[in-house]
Amino acid sequence: MVESWVVATLARGLAFAVPLLFAALGELVAERAGVINLGVEGMMILGALSAFVVADLSGNPWLGVLAAAGVGAAAAFFHAFFSITLRANQYVSGLALTMVGLGLSGLLGKPFAGRPLAHPLPKWDVPLLKEIPWIGPGVFSGQSALLYLGFLLAFLLWVFLYRTRGGIHLRSVGENPAAADALGVNVYLVRYLAVLFGGAMAGVAGAYLSVAYRPSWTEGMTAGLGWIALAIVIFAAWDPLRAVVTSFLFGAFYHLAYRFQAHLAPEFLKMTPYLFTILFLVLSALGKSVRLGAPEALGRPYVRGER
Amino acid sequence: MRKFWLAAVVVLWALAFGQQEIKAGWIYVGPIGDYGWTHAHDVGRKEAEAAFPWLKTVYVESVPEGQAGSYIDQMVRQGVKVIFATSFGYMDAVQEAAKRYPDVIFAHATGFKRAPNVATYMADFYQVYYLNGLMAGALTKTGKVGYVGAFPIPELKRHINAFTLGVRAVNPKAQVLVRWIYEWYNPAAAKEATEALIAEGADVFAFTEDSPTVVQVAAEKGFPSFSHYSPMLKFAPDYVVSGQLVHWGTIYKDFLAKVYAGLYTPKNLEDVDYWWLLPQGAVELGADFGVPINPKFAGRLKAKQVDHPIFGKISVYDLVMKLHGLMKDVELAFDPFQGPIKDRKGVLRVPEGLRLTKHQLETMEWAVEGVVGPWPNEPK
Repeated sequence: MVESWVVATLARGLAFAVPLLFAALGELVAERAGVINLGVEGMMILGALSAFVVADLSGNPWLGVLAAAGVGAAAAFFHAFFSITLRANQYVSGLALTMVGLGLSGLLGKPFAGRPLAHPLPKWDVPLLKEIPWIGPGVFSGQSALLYLGFLLAFLLWVFLYRTRGGIHLRSVGENPAAADALGVNVYLVRYLAVLFGGAMAGVAGAYLSVAYRPSWTEGMTAGLGWIALAIVIFAAWDPLRAVVTSFLFGAFYHLAYRFQAHLAPEFLKMTPYLFTILFLVLSALGKSVRLGAPEALGRPYVRGER
Repeated sequence: MRKFWLAAVVVLWALAFGQQEIKAGWIYVGPIGDYGWTHAHDVGRKEAEAAFPWLKTVYVESVPEGQAGSYIDQMVRQGVKVIFATSFGYMDAVQEAAKRYPDVIFAHATGFKRAPNVATYMADFYQVYYLNGLMAGALTKTGKVGYVGAFPIPELKRHINAFTLGVRAVNPKAQVLVRWIYEWYNPAAAKEATEALIAEGADVFAFTEDSPTVVQVAAEKGFPSFSHYSPMLKFAPDYVVSGQLVHWGTIYKDFLAKVYAGLYTPKNLEDVDYWWLLPQGAVELGADFGVPINPKFAGRLKAKQVDHPIFGKISVYDLVMKLHGLMKDVELAFDPFQGPIKDRKGVLRVPEGLRLTKHQLETMEWAVEGVVGPWPNEPK
């Protein structure tokens, strides 16, 4: 009995965490470079549509995922151009991207609505590991390959951010672009790359929805997940490994909201991950000297030579 | 033949009074690509437009329930004479607009407030749900049928109750486990609710949500399900048993033809309330149009025998077909809510020999025996 609860919560929490994780990791990198992109929802849904279309036409879901990354990055390019080069308000530009993405995907996706996908992304059973009691059937059985790629990506990003020169450049651009510039870092280039990466990952998150999680296209199918991803970035305190944990928490509580519905108000359970993260933040702030603040220059366009 | 005469009358009226063209507008709550509620209304709109050369139609999609008023204003300015508001939440906006524009005809779907220029209409599924319940009861092995519901409102409660009555008619000990997602359209929520029901042991599924998610998730695990609103057979050809389908076009065509003929005017709609069921062809039993029962399940449904109070020993397949035939009859020889029916708290809700009135059906808040799960606003 307990086992079935643990297994189901692990399995469902992780399955639901995948799109949140990818979108959050992408946004995290962009925000670390000082650019906030409220267009996650828009890039995600454009990714979902393009992944479905390409997977449907080519018969290969992985091509769909690639296409989604490309389209997500292309959409992010507009945000980068407006907010970095033209120095427009990042919040406005991002919101516009979300609205355009939702509208455009709805328009272009009409012929694909209500069509089943013949070849969705396969599910993986990891040999040996799936035999581990409790954890095996929850984590290593019947999950999408994208879940493990997400774990890997989070780890690599952590290494990149904290253990490499490139990571220092990225973080310094988000903290103090003028200083980074003085040290010879190309602030604009770093910001562009970070935003494009964010778009690509949002695209992959969308692809997961339309070719793995629920293989079909329906208008508005991201249903607000992009906004949750934005919240996860904050709750994870801009740390890739914490993003894994918070994404999973959101996923697990999302699942438990339905398991417990007969006994507890669903509103309470939907609130729980937020309460949990706040508690988590408070505890870690009380403990060691963990930096929990946003990057200093987040949301501020950089103008060379200005102080 | 009746249709012919109706058409003839319409043409004659048109010739006599020289009505040129009617412009009708639809206000949709969701996107027309949702593959559910709004999609089905839009199919109906197109059907009406194709049927009548004198009809011009316009529509706006994804109109939030609080903002219907300004969209109605816009439509009236464009010269729209007949407005269909297709969500329950538009009720008050429609009432206000009807006062502002006394010459415009309004029709409000699923509502109950009427006025001289506001009619109401509904194509209801409760009969179809009962038939689906019979099949679900025959197919469940665990005795637990899962239901993913959008909102706990009387419409869904009526459907779930009818469904549960069907399940229990075949399988008296079976339960219908209910989970609410509190949204009309949310694939992710529908998926997780289904997964939660699977974890609780449910092995047959029905739902109210505007996407084929529940069907897809159930099929992935090899469980049968019932399609909702639009034909979803193609999403899981081996697992969709049947379902409920709608033909809003039948109502739209009837209504508009009568407007054109001058039978409906902005002065006489106070009592015009469409409550169309199986006999009028507004709803259909099926996994797809023309497929009342997926042939892949015919064998299992024929093998399951029940002892029925009216028909005696009969297979579930034949029972569904017989009752379907009866309920399509205008005389309504059979009704799912035929007394005696007790609610799950033991209160007698439908006395022996009686049926519910339309008003009682529309305001149903109680749950029949066999429904398991939260049930907001349940009477004590």
